[in-house]
Amino acid sequence: MSSRDYILKRAKANKPEAIALPKIDVSVFDDSRNILSEFTLKVETAGGNVFEATSDDDVISKVKSMFPDGKVNFSTLKHTKNFNTLNIEKINKPHDLEDLDVLVLESSFGVAENGAIWVADSQLPMRVLPFIAKHLVLVLNKDSIVTFMHQAYKKLSSNDTDFGVFISGPSKTADIEQSLVIGAHGALSLSVFLKEN
Amino acid sequence: MSHSKAATIFNKDEKKVNWHDKALWFVRHKRDKSAHSVKGWEELRNLGHGIKAHTLSNLDTYLIQFEENAIKNGVQVHWAADADEHNKIVQSILKAHNAKKVVKSKSMLTEECHLNPFLEANDIEVIDTDLGERIVQLAKEPPSHIVLPAIHKKKEEVDVLFQEHLGTKPCDGDPQYLTGEARKHLREKFIQADAAITGVNFAVADTGGFVVCTNEGNADMGVHLAPVHIACMGIEKLIPKQEHLGVFLRLLGRSATGQHITTYSSHFKKPRNGAKMHIVIVDNGRTEQLSRPDFRASLHCIRCGACMNTCPIYRRSGGHSYDSTIPGPIGSILSPGKDLKKHSTLPFASTLCGSCSDVCPVKIDIHTQLYKWRQIITKETPQPFIKKTSMKMMGNIFSKPSQFDKVGKVARWSLRNLPKGMINSKPNVWGKARDLPLGPKESFEDWYKKRNKDEQ
Repeated sequence: MSSRDYILKRAKANKPEAIALPKIDVSVFDDSRNILSEFTLKVETAGGNVFEATSDDDVISKVKSMFPDGKVNFSTLKHTKNFNTLNIEKINKPHDLEDLDVLVLESSFGVAENGAIWVADSQLPMRVLPFIAKHLVLVLNKDSIVTFMHQAYKKLSSNDTDFGVFISGPSKTADIEQSLVIGAHGALSLSVFLKEN
Repeated sequence: MSHSKAATIFNKDEKKVNWHDKALWFVRHKRDKSAHSVKGWEELRNLGHGIKAHTLSNLDTYLIQFEENAIKNGVQVHWAADADEHNKIVQSILKAHNAKKVVKSKSMLTEECHLNPFLEANDIEVIDTDLGERIVQLAKEPPSHIVLPAIHKKKEEVDVLFQEHLGTKPCDGDPQYLTGEARKHLREKFIQADAAITGVNFAVADTGGFVVCTNEGNADMGVHLAPVHIACMGIEKLIPKQEHLGVFLRLLGRSATGQHITTYSSHFKKPRNGAKMHIVIVDNGRTEQLSRPDFRASLHCIRCGACMNTCPIYRRSGGHSYDSTIPGPIGSILSPGKDLKKHSTLPFASTLCGSCSDVCPVKIDIHTQLYKWRQIITKETPQPFIKKTSMKMMGNIFSKPSQFDKVGKVARWSLRNLPKGMINSKPNVWGKARDLPLGPKESFEDWYKKRNKDEQ
């Protein structure tokens, strides 16, 4: 018997009698907190910074002044060609992005309860981008923020992404004596820009 | 070695034990703060428990559904009945891709299967990329905690270790500097890797996808650069639907470290263009545990480590004293199911205070299961002579009130009058490193009767 059949046979024989799947009633979690201030608080708790912007051009000009030393920059925002110092279509392998200093990405929504921001394949020319860049900038619309993870997955239910990630703050570790150090393997900083529609 | 003997070794350095105890209690405190900020937290725990219980009761169907969808997504699915088969499958995948250098993010399953030594013996370099795991790998030790692998190490020890292996400068254990150096060292390994291995936090039956959670971003750095991604998962990692992630991702980070969510929660479904993705589904004793009605709920575990951080025994005995891949309370109910004899002392490494069950995000009745394992172990494995006879004696005394009364009188008198050397003699472990209280003149019963008389 193959291991597959062996495992399935034993799982079937050893499982308990059927137990019903509980239903998720989201109303019990409702705490009537202000979505926008909750989101900002949670991004900051996770080590990120939140800014406001009026347009994509506004984002780019602010990012330029925040990171004046950025030599290798890339943005997926529209009309930001003069910000980009690399042509993503000419990158053959993800390893060539190693020197990326500043990356600006669009996101379709964020989550207030934990400051997590969804970045999906469709917004990512290469999957490694948000992890390999030194400074990550995420841009989203104010009214795209949802309250809890439950609503986040409602949004994702009709969404067929091959890869996607919730990002909350810059990369971090506390593996040496529980002292928090920002910037482990991924981004050293996270800046979030909220746009009015 | 018994847990208590191994704990004695850890307790030789009292200052370090006190630090370890406080550091973990601090993490427990952070967990409380963040859990209490969530309205409906208890309902969330109920949901976590209910979804896991439902999944286990349909495990075979969900496994088949998951496999079907994963294959549709272009992922190759492998099945391993035990650790040995798991290791051989991983090796054969690496061989097929001619992979010699492998980066691995945290996976307790691959620890359980002892994958690293197996691959190293087959001329494959395996680098653990989680900082804590890299530290213990360089020190040639197993992790002592499932979320904080190097919590038993002081920063000065890490300093020395990095000087020796990474050529860093002496820095009095500056965490910022040491982390920065580790980043550079591991960046090089990520760039050179031929393959990346990750664990799986949750596998979703109805999409065939899976989620990997990290704070450092090490799993993603590995898999998005290397041409091959191998994800290893136990059969109990399954959940039915993607929407259930909403429940578990709310519970996991808060229970583990008090974070509202881990920095990266990566959702994998299809390999990236030109790359390969493999999933290895492993049993290794899990279907056996599923057959035990009293213990199958231990398979609900989402590996947050909350039960370790809260456990008064774990905090003061250290993860290595458990001598099993998963230490602490949850490890003490999982391990006896794998090797009852080897792990027979673990269910006794508990005060049965129940704090582990109280913080468990998926409501596993950990302390009840510890108690139930004790019942089995005392019947099936030989117990120390002193413990056995003293338990029998105590049983006799407690069953006869008049005898209990007499023994109580003698004990109270002895505690007041016998010399300390006699009271704290070797067989009395309660007198180890502590003075016993002075025996009161009257028993509780005497006091109670007198009190009632006085009130009348």
